[in-house]
Amino acid sequence: MVTKFSRRQFTGGILAGTTALAMPSLAFGARPRVAVIGGGAGGATAAKYIAKDSKGAIDVTLIEASKRYYTCFYSNLYLGGFRSYASIGHNYYGLSVNRGVNVVHEWANSVDTAAKVVNLGHGGQVKYDRLVLSPGISLKYDSLPGYSPEMHSRMPHAWTSGTQVQLLRSKVLNMKKGGTFVMVPPPNPYRCPPGPYERVSMIAHLLKERNPTAKIIILDPKPKFSKQGLFMAGWEKHYPGMIDWIDPDTHGGIKSINATSMEIETDLDTFKADAASVVPAQHAGSIAMAAGVTDGDWCPINPANMTAKADPNIYVLGDASVASSMPKSGFSANSQAKVAANHIRGELTGSRVYEARYANTCWSLVATDDGIKVGANYSAGPEKIDVVSKFVSQGDESADVRKATYQESIGWYEGITTDMFS
Amino acid sequence: MRNLWTVFFFATILCLSHARADNLLDGADLGYGEYLSGECVTCHSKDGVDKGIPVINGLDAEVFASIMHAYKTGDMDHPVMMMVASRLDAEQIASLAVYFAAMPGTN
Repeated sequence: MVTKFSRRQFTGGILAGTTALAMPSLAFGARPRVAVIGGGAGGATAAKYIAKDSKGAIDVTLIEASKRYYTCFYSNLYLGGFRSYASIGHNYYGLSVNRGVNVVHEWANSVDTAAKVVNLGHGGQVKYDRLVLSPGISLKYDSLPGYSPEMHSRMPHAWTSGTQVQLLRSKVLNMKKGGTFVMVPPPNPYRCPPGPYERVSMIAHLLKERNPTAKIIILDPKPKFSKQGLFMAGWEKHYPGMIDWIDPDTHGGIKSINATSMEIETDLDTFKADAASVVPAQHAGSIAMAAGVTDGDWCPINPANMTAKADPNIYVLGDASVASSMPKSGFSANSQAKVAANHIRGELTGSRVYEARYANTCWSLVATDDGIKVGANYSAGPEKIDVVSKFVSQGDESADVRKATYQESIGWYEGITTDMFS
Repeated sequence: MRNLWTVFFFATILCLSHARADNLLDGADLGYGEYLSGECVTCHSKDGVDKGIPVINGLDAEVFASIMHAYKTGDMDHPVMMMVASRLDAEQIASLAVYFAAMPGTN
């Protein structure tokens, strides 16, 4: 075996080293500092890889309000009874103890991009040479007439995992016999494109066991959705007659939502729900808006390294970024984090910088042992992240293949959470 | 584990019949393999735990490379792995192979 510098080393080494030496902090021997805001699939992964691969040469601070992080991915499987709530919760001890990441459980209030400082909720400050923003999403409360934060307890969005998902499960379990569940999915673009439809599948699974005459109505603002054919075939197979998906041409749009009477009004009809999940439109997490790196609702990035177009010292990962054809998913964020981590190390320590390579796969569970998936890999084009190749589960797959797909998704959960938190 | 043994079997056959082992690892670059491995460990647990996706830590480098070439040519069939392998060239496969071979297998 011959170790060599290959064609892939196109921006690292001498060039980055020269840049780094020009920085006062390095000239005086101080460790360069990276602050990471958000401890999810993007932020936790970025913090880990920067700390791990720099072997202590970079000081990494992860700012995350929650001490225990409940993943959004697999929260639907908790809803359906396939996972315990505890099994989707994770802590940051591994990053702290194994990787030397300085974990700060605080809210990031604002970013002073000129001074390169993050201001924390309780008055502290974290200085940085490079900042990673991976704040996920915030909800647009004004996107649905009548929708407000106070409605969370009546019609849970359950789109940021945690207690909202526990609340939604309890509401489904307490529905009256033969009652109606209404799902209002968000408009594009949003976190986890197959998520609303996997959620419906999991709720149908729960109701089939406990409340088989109950109905589910989906009032969709979109005329089509991710893995639509596969989901709808699965619903017909496993939950015949239970689920009614109504597209916007048919219902004419949501005119008002009344959480007190549990009524959702459309042109077609006013739907009375015994339980409901209403997921509004979304934008980049508020701190990204505060940092001034958004254009409209989301943060444009440079495809080669995930730096914000608005600020070369800030990297934006995951749901908050405009990653073109990459969906807003935990897998995408994890993949983007590794590209950013590699680039940040190159910038700050002169290590080798390799070409950006991105990937995503989204598994969904339709019913017991009936898993489906869609995935693609991507490269950095000059203006956007481009698809290299892709695949999707086929409609005529055998039960064995579907079962294997589900088992694979369990393996993936183990893999990505190990990758993020250990 | 049963799946992995099947993979071993096919890989051994491929090793013997298709290419000389030293060619499979030509151009291997451990550092590049470490970077590329980021795509693998999202699914293949780096702790060496198999909960539905095979452990690849500690896999013999030539076996690893043979398997990836088999996915690339379509001799082995799995949608995710065929997609992953489709954009890896021989040097990249070799780099990954030597990287994972050096990882402690804890299963």
